[in-house]
Amino acid sequence: MFQLYNKNVNQNRIIPYRILLNATSATKELVEQILPKNGVPSMRIGLQELELVLKSTIKKAEEGLPIVGYHFSFPAEYLQCFDCVPVCVEGTSYFLAAFLEGGSEKYYDLMHNYGHPFHTCTSQKGTMGMTLDDLFKFDSLITPTAPCDCTIASYPFFKHEKEIPLVLLDMPYSREEKSYEYYANQLKEGLIKLGKIIGQEPDFSRLKKAIELENQVNNLKLEIFELIKTTPSPISNIYNAISAGLSIFISGTPENLSYYEKMLEIIKRRYKTKEHHGGEEKIRSIWPYMITFFSIDLMEWLDRELGFSVLFDIFNYNFYDPINTKSDLETIFYGMSKKSMGLPMVRQSTEFFGPFIEYCIKFAKDFSADCFVYTQSIACKQFGSVPQLLREALRDEVGIPMLLIEFDAGDARMTSLKSFKEKISMFTQTIS
Amino acid sequence: MRCSFISLNNDPYLSISYSIKNSYIDEWQKKGKKVVGFYCTYIPEELLYAADLLPFRIRATGNKDTDLGDIYMVRFTCSFVRATLDMALRGKYDFLDGFLICNSCDHSRRMFELFDLKVFNRENFKKKVHRFYLALPHVITDEGFEWYKKEVEEFKEELELKFEISEITNDKLKRSIEIHNENRSLLREIHKLRIQNNPKLTGSEALQISMANSSIPKNIANSELKRLKSLLTKREDIDISNKKRILLVGSVVDNIEFTELIENSGGFLASDVLCFGTRNFMDDVEFETNKSPLERITKRLYYRLSCPRMMDDHQRRLDFVKEEIKRANIEGVILQRINNCDLHGCDNMLFSHELKEMEIPVLNIDREFYQADTTRLQTRIEAFLEML
Repeated sequence: MFQLYNKNVNQNRIIPYRILLNATSATKELVEQILPKNGVPSMRIGLQELELVLKSTIKKAEEGLPIVGYHFSFPAEYLQCFDCVPVCVEGTSYFLAAFLEGGSEKYYDLMHNYGHPFHTCTSQKGTMGMTLDDLFKFDSLITPTAPCDCTIASYPFFKHEKEIPLVLLDMPYSREEKSYEYYANQLKEGLIKLGKIIGQEPDFSRLKKAIELENQVNNLKLEIFELIKTTPSPISNIYNAISAGLSIFISGTPENLSYYEKMLEIIKRRYKTKEHHGGEEKIRSIWPYMITFFSIDLMEWLDRELGFSVLFDIFNYNFYDPINTKSDLETIFYGMSKKSMGLPMVRQSTEFFGPFIEYCIKFAKDFSADCFVYTQSIACKQFGSVPQLLREALRDEVGIPMLLIEFDAGDARMTSLKSFKEKISMFTQTIS
Repeated sequence: MRCSFISLNNDPYLSISYSIKNSYIDEWQKKGKKVVGFYCTYIPEELLYAADLLPFRIRATGNKDTDLGDIYMVRFTCSFVRATLDMALRGKYDFLDGFLICNSCDHSRRMFELFDLKVFNRENFKKKVHRFYLALPHVITDEGFEWYKKEVEEFKEELELKFEISEITNDKLKRSIEIHNENRSLLREIHKLRIQNNPKLTGSEALQISMANSSIPKNIANSELKRLKSLLTKREDIDISNKKRILLVGSVVDNIEFTELIENSGGFLASDVLCFGTRNFMDDVEFETNKSPLERITKRLYYRLSCPRMMDDHQRRLDFVKEEIKRANIEGVILQRINNCDLHGCDNMLFSHELKEMEIPVLNIDREFYQADTTRLQTRIEAFLEML
């Protein structure tokens, strides 16, 4: 039923991906042609891999395969059991925010004018605006009911305003055995339901392969994470931004594995030579929440201008037990469930703050952090009660300060790049 | 016999709504009985009452300051929840013996940690307050119901253990269901007196009744509601000849300053879809002999008219809004949200488009919990009412 063969009509179903492909290719060309060969490798390699995946995704759309939107906390590799065009709702808004002049602001404003509140998440709002403008023609969407009110509140728009079938996976609030079992069933039933909507049976052997691929990626990420403990940090700050984007955008593809293999090689070399991306590492910081997706060049500026290392952000410190693919289907879904409930933001939102604060204290010690920078995004109400608790814990347990910056991760109009630079520069003076 | 206009301004029952603590709580605790505070209506009040515990719905009525709350909650959070935390940090909730949270929204669910660490662990506060948490699914399905049923069963065991109750028996639960069903039935009867063409009470009075109802033992509330019902029945009709009949929808309202702002601007709040209003008393615990009383209590809680924290239930909420528009002969709908309330903000956006398609005038506003921006709101509300 979805095998439409009019290429022009079909490719118009994911216009933002075509914009994103152009933006990615243009940025990649700039990086390759302007920067020295060894400059910002995470960006160079990351964009190469992203470009490949985007081209293949657009080709699938042209062939008439169903367009399936997914939430960033639904691992993209789980959709590999279908012949479909996976589109990350949140990733699209924020990649465009990062790569385009003016970002996704036009689409945020479109939704504001439609009556959507200003304080909801721009990662969803951008894609909602694009859908309202008929730039996306989703055949279905799939999302967990976590990690936040914005997810719960925003997704019904697609169903009620655009009549797009919505598959909801109920994720319990508590990370324990019964929750993993409950959510495993939600995942299984959800994929079957999605299959019915798009007229396909899930191919679980393909799902297994994609999961195995991501198991390998997880091991590589863990290896990199260990290397970051050394001084100076062997990663560039922008590695965090690119890895965050790729994790939610291209997981389950050989390109994702390729990215991490290449990055590990480079990071190992830097580790051995004690090379710092910015020249000299003066301050080591941990960003337990998000970075500025509206302007990822802040990361580069921090490295080069201030010698201010961002060791990792929330998207780069969540790991999981490899999913056992050698056993039966139930075991695989159990592993998938456990992984899903341990994903960035989901992990911290499906349990009390205690473990999050304990993790932060441990990280501060293990990674010899000089400070924390806590970016409180306007949308993330589920984190709105933690900054002061964390600040007190870091002060009392580790004796390091925490800078709190309120912002919108995808919209520069709330706290601008200039404002970020000023705040961090002043903070740096107080701790140097 | 119709009486001349009876003022409820000094009615002792309605005056309970002006303060947090009241004399009924003092009486209750003098007998050695305990009080359990909670935020959201998705908790099993019947179970608490059957355990001889007084369920008390946490409010921030009267608080215009969130200085202390602001230390622990960033400005992007709900000012209602921040105001309750502020009051708790100032000792206004020290009378609680238990504290129950469910994951209703991102703002209130985090009160579990903040009360735990900062309110009940603060210096010079020595009282032991038991903490409880209920995890409620975000979609309405059979599996979700089974999940919540187990949660409530475990909660019952936890209550028995922590409050050293020998057993919360089925008989006690049945009795509690009867009292709570009667309570809801009385609230519905009073609601009828409000929605009729010649109303006997204002929306602000109805809100006060509902707030008082959530702050005292239900057996006493029932006697008071019977008294009020009888009094209101005899009361002279309220003159609404120059007023527009309004349906108020959205975030929690626990302060009559806001409802009075509407009613003093030319509106009459003929009905509402609020958690201190119709959403809390429209559904009863059903009588099913083949189900345990606890299961019946859970069933009502889970399947009743939802708030937008239930992700896939917007259509049912819309249907109820439409029914209420007809039932209460509504002329205009005011959709309101407390700033930073994503759940009601997005639900209201959907409502505003759907109601406009039905050609029902809609005003969609945002506000703070405390009336910090009265003039702005008043201007918008007056303009809307004039337009009707």
